[in-house]
Amino acid sequence: MRCNPTRRTFLKGTAATAVLAAGGACSLGAWQREQAEAAGALTSGPSLCNGCSSKCGLVATTRDGRLWTVEGMEEHPYSKGTLCGRGHGTAQWAYSDGRLTQPMKRVEDGSFAPISWDDAFAEIGAKVQEIVAEAGPEALAIIQDPRPSGKYYSKRFMNALGSANVYTHAAACNLSKESGIEQATGAQNFSVDFANTKMVVFIGRSYGDAIRPSSVKSLAGAAAKGARVVIVDPRLNNTGVFATDWVPIKPGTDIALLLGIANVLVTRDLYDHEFVEQHAVGFPEFAAQVADYTPEWAEGICDVPAATIEELAESLAAAAPACAIEPSWRAAFGCAYQNSFETARCVCAVNALLGSWGQKGGALLTSSPKAGDLDPAKFPKVPAPASPRLGDEEYPLALSGTGTNLAVLNGCNDGAIQGVFFYNSNAVQGYAQPAKWREALAKAKLVVTIDVQMSETALESDYVLPECTVLERLELPEFIGGKKHYVALRTPVLERIHPETKPCDEIFAGLAEACGVGQYFPFTVEELADAQLASVGTSLDEVREAGIVELTDPEFAYGVPTFKTPTEKFQFTSEKVGTAGLNPVIGYVGRLVEPAEGEFFLVGGKQGIHSHTMTMNLEALNAISREYGLERLWMATSDAESLGIADGDTVEVESSEATGQVTVKVTERLKPGVLFLPTHYGSTSPYLTRAQGLGINMMDFVPLHLEPKVGSVMSQEVAVKVRKVEG
Amino acid sequence: MARYGMLINTKKCVGCYACRVACQMVNSLAPEESFISFNELEQGSYPNVYAEVVPVQCMHCEDAPCEAVCPTHATYTTDSGVVLVDEGKCIGCKYCMAACPYGARVQIEETGVIEKCRFCWYEGEPGNPPRCVNTCISGARIFGDLDDPESEICREIARTNAQPLAGNLTAAKIYYVR
Amino acid sequence: MVWGPMIAWYLFLAGASAGAFLTAAFVEAKYPDSVKMRVAGRIIAPVFLGVGLIMLMLDAEAGLRNPLRFFYLVMNPGSVMTLGVYFICLFMPVSLVAALLEVLRRPVPKWLTWTGIVSAFCVAAYTGFLLGVVQAYPLWNNAILPVLFVVSALSAGLAATSLVGLVTDRERFEQMWLIKKSHVILSAIEMVVLATMLIIVSAGSVEGAASVASLVSGEYAPMFWGGLVLLGLVAPFAIEGWPVFITRKVETSTTSMVVSVIGEGGVLVGGFLLRLLVILAALPVVYL
Repeated sequence: MRCNPTRRTFLKGTAATAVLAAGGACSLGAWQREQAEAAGALTSGPSLCNGCSSKCGLVATTRDGRLWTVEGMEEHPYSKGTLCGRGHGTAQWAYSDGRLTQPMKRVEDGSFAPISWDDAFAEIGAKVQEIVAEAGPEALAIIQDPRPSGKYYSKRFMNALGSANVYTHAAACNLSKESGIEQATGAQNFSVDFANTKMVVFIGRSYGDAIRPSSVKSLAGAAAKGARVVIVDPRLNNTGVFATDWVPIKPGTDIALLLGIANVLVTRDLYDHEFVEQHAVGFPEFAAQVADYTPEWAEGICDVPAATIEELAESLAAAAPACAIEPSWRAAFGCAYQNSFETARCVCAVNALLGSWGQKGGALLTSSPKAGDLDPAKFPKVPAPASPRLGDEEYPLALSGTGTNLAVLNGCNDGAIQGVFFYNSNAVQGYAQPAKWREALAKAKLVVTIDVQMSETALESDYVLPECTVLERLELPEFIGGKKHYVALRTPVLERIHPETKPCDEIFAGLAEACGVGQYFPFTVEELADAQLASVGTSLDEVREAGIVELTDPEFAYGVPTFKTPTEKFQFTSEKVGTAGLNPVIGYVGRLVEPAEGEFFLVGGKQGIHSHTMTMNLEALNAISREYGLERLWMATSDAESLGIADGDTVEVESSEATGQVTVKVTERLKPGVLFLPTHYGSTSPYLTRAQGLGINMMDFVPLHLEPKVGSVMSQEVAVKVRKVEG
Repeated sequence: MARYGMLINTKKCVGCYACRVACQMVNSLAPEESFISFNELEQGSYPNVYAEVVPVQCMHCEDAPCEAVCPTHATYTTDSGVVLVDEGKCIGCKYCMAACPYGARVQIEETGVIEKCRFCWYEGEPGNPPRCVNTCISGARIFGDLDDPESEICREIARTNAQPLAGNLTAAKIYYVR
Repeated sequence: MVWGPMIAWYLFLAGASAGAFLTAAFVEAKYPDSVKMRVAGRIIAPVFLGVGLIMLMLDAEAGLRNPLRFFYLVMNPGSVMTLGVYFICLFMPVSLVAALLEVLRRPVPKWLTWTGIVSAFCVAAYTGFLLGVVQAYPLWNNAILPVLFVVSALSAGLAATSLVGLVTDRERFEQMWLIKKSHVILSAIEMVVLATMLIIVSAGSVEGAASVASLVSGEYAPMFWGGLVLLGLVAPFAIEGWPVFITRKVETSTTSMVVSVIGEGGVLVGGFLLRLLVILAALPVVYL
């Protein structure tokens, strides 16, 4: 019963409770008599949100054991005392009527029937051993969207079986961007020093739509201090309230804008000579190449006026080094286009020309803590798998930590993969075209999904194993990097609602035992968490009590960072990129699909209340989508007028792959010729009663094609036609 | 006696609905019931557009039309200017819903009572601050005493020239920065 | 929309109740022999109001679940609804006692009738003021609406009572020229008042114009023109007006009776639709 906190844990009162009491926060809100009467039964405890991968700190308050409220944890660097809408919404997951409450097995007629844990483990174990015997362990794979316990246990489980095929969702998220940044800087991400910045340029990313509270606060602070905030996006997104400039751009051509800026910086000698000469390699080659990318050339591709590009370049140069192009996440070049990897490199190149790396107000590379070595007697080392990960050869620029999960899709089709596990991952609905995933998974001998609800991926599985929800489970410590280092913990603040659900650690330990590799899991999650925490100088008890603990100060200091590239310098050229068969010098790559006459660009994006497709069925969040028609397809007013479409009309969207009907939102906030579709909608799972049939799924429309050498899904390489549906 | 009010800075609101869901949780509202509604407005035309989200909830009007029409006196104003509903007196006639110029009154399906934002009132005091303020990710909301010239809210109202939505129509106590 | 058909029924029935009581008083004064019609009016009054009050309570869900809360309705004299409760508290027992006396074939004292007349007017007017004081809705918040509701209430009460007279005591009914004339005149006044209100509301505000547009040319246009204007106003005006002002002769044919029933029924349908449409079509002024 590891999901269940003991009563004593609650009652002894956490540090967070003390904070609450001191701030009078316990007296917030409730007025009903019964609440007053029940006030004595209020208890609070810290945990981590699971609304998105930020995993913000929260303090949950229960009333007689039932969740009442959640608040952002003051001390957590991401929440800073507040939680976004989906944080509050996903906290209620335990009570959702859309949950899986027991293990399920697909039976002959294709429907699902309950099965006991013991039987499920035994049957899965037998099939895994059969696959290993016939095709070797490299025919097994797991795909997961990383969570504190999940990323550890899924990898350990797969490696214990002898397979290196561990993938994250990244190929449909931020793979291209992280890989591009890695090739330029050696790090996979960077941050903007908002507190001191004078100018920041966002490429497609919207802090107001894909929310981490601390990011919004930082940007709000920068805007209040008068920083120039430029939003480059075909859509005026919800971050627009903080923006000084909106630069509408043709989708998938941000690279041209960036190269145009680079051209101005180089040809007008506005770049940081010291940085380029002392701390970078390949500048001469880059400068030679960039000479062709004039603002006029860029305008022809990205449809941003050359004068705007020149002005942006000059202003950046004037603000340098206290300025930066923001690194983004999924948005416009996380996995969207054929040129996404290269766009990320261009972002880094512009920041390099500005000399903003490591500078006050510029682009910062910070460090992250991690657990130290553990006692191998207690936590036995898993031998490295013999075969390399499937897909790494064809996509050498996929990150070592993520791989490209689409290798699994292809592997199922050609027989290389026969057994697939999914943890906290709705790959079928979101990672590539659902029809292609279904086709591929149908060929696998075994598909197992571990989730809290019957996702579209679960529907394609032979076994579905129910995890308990976020506030019902203890997970491994979450290490947080940045200017300061922290470790935080997801602790259970609710009793397990459905007794036949289990936390991820128990599920993987059970699977390992059944598959004959139980010897690698001779510890409980508490023991492992405690050991990991001890290795960084704290303990499970301490972090459990406080929710978050600050670790040894990494003593961040401004100044040019050490680039962890093979050359130990900033790389305008990358040998690895050249070896992969691409242009080693940062330069131009076009988008793949160009809309024909009468066709539209289709871009996607997040909404603040949803996380991928996983939150769509949650009562509180789904109600918002329905009340405000958030599933609608955005269309520019001028396009709507010329097609005779009015706000609220239903249209049929058609691509080479699919057609679908959706309601239209007519808006001035969109570049004509572009359609915007929020990417959470169009669930097809009959088990997700609220989500099913609400809106359409963008991935249905996108052809299955992977970004060369990187392996991202190229989620926006698509052109569509739209026509009004009469009646 | 304090005179409580709120400031909502639409120039900081990204429309994340955190206030709505936090409010629903603390008030045990059903998913479809909300004391806060959101109005998305666009001004100008492409590419010169300004978009804003205007959250609307009970304005705790000093001249509250809902209170004036309430036949049972279920709606009343506390000494500190917070407009409240006495659930034990409300018959659910919806006259207050009709009278409120802001559409801020909401029928609770479970009880039939017409409720609304009550600044998280509890045991004689409003929330400190109310949950919507507490969870606002961008600090777009400020709560405080309008009679205390040194309060943050008074300073911000003065600095930003924040105004109630409908001018002095109802002497509303939520001020908006637009 | 805040309110719906339930409240439309209540407003209609309360108004018609008042109108029926006034009709009975009028018949008593001018046609003392028309017993059946007078009794009909006396009985219709409390029955309609009673049914209307049930509608009102069914709509007030919180009170329905906790009926004792309805006693608080007298608490706020500043609220038109509370005033209405006072009027109803007076009118309901008065009309009930009057009806009872009629049923028991006892004379209704003059003072009781006069109390009833005054309180009936108050009830009819209150149904209009109830909406009229709501500033948020331009379609309601004008001085004409209460007048319109009073005229319509009289007309509906008259029609309900007349319908009984027409069916049970036709010979006498066809001789009651004052009743018939009042009917035609009330329909004419209602048409003028309705048109005036729509024109003024339409000119007053964007939301008012949108409300009026939804009635005359939008989603409620079929109900407005077909139900309220044609069936509720024009048809009764023509059906009653023809014999009263043009042919000036007493009709006795079955056809004419059927036509008359259609006319009286039309007034009742129109009276209900007027309130329903006024409730449904009202759009609030938006402050953003």
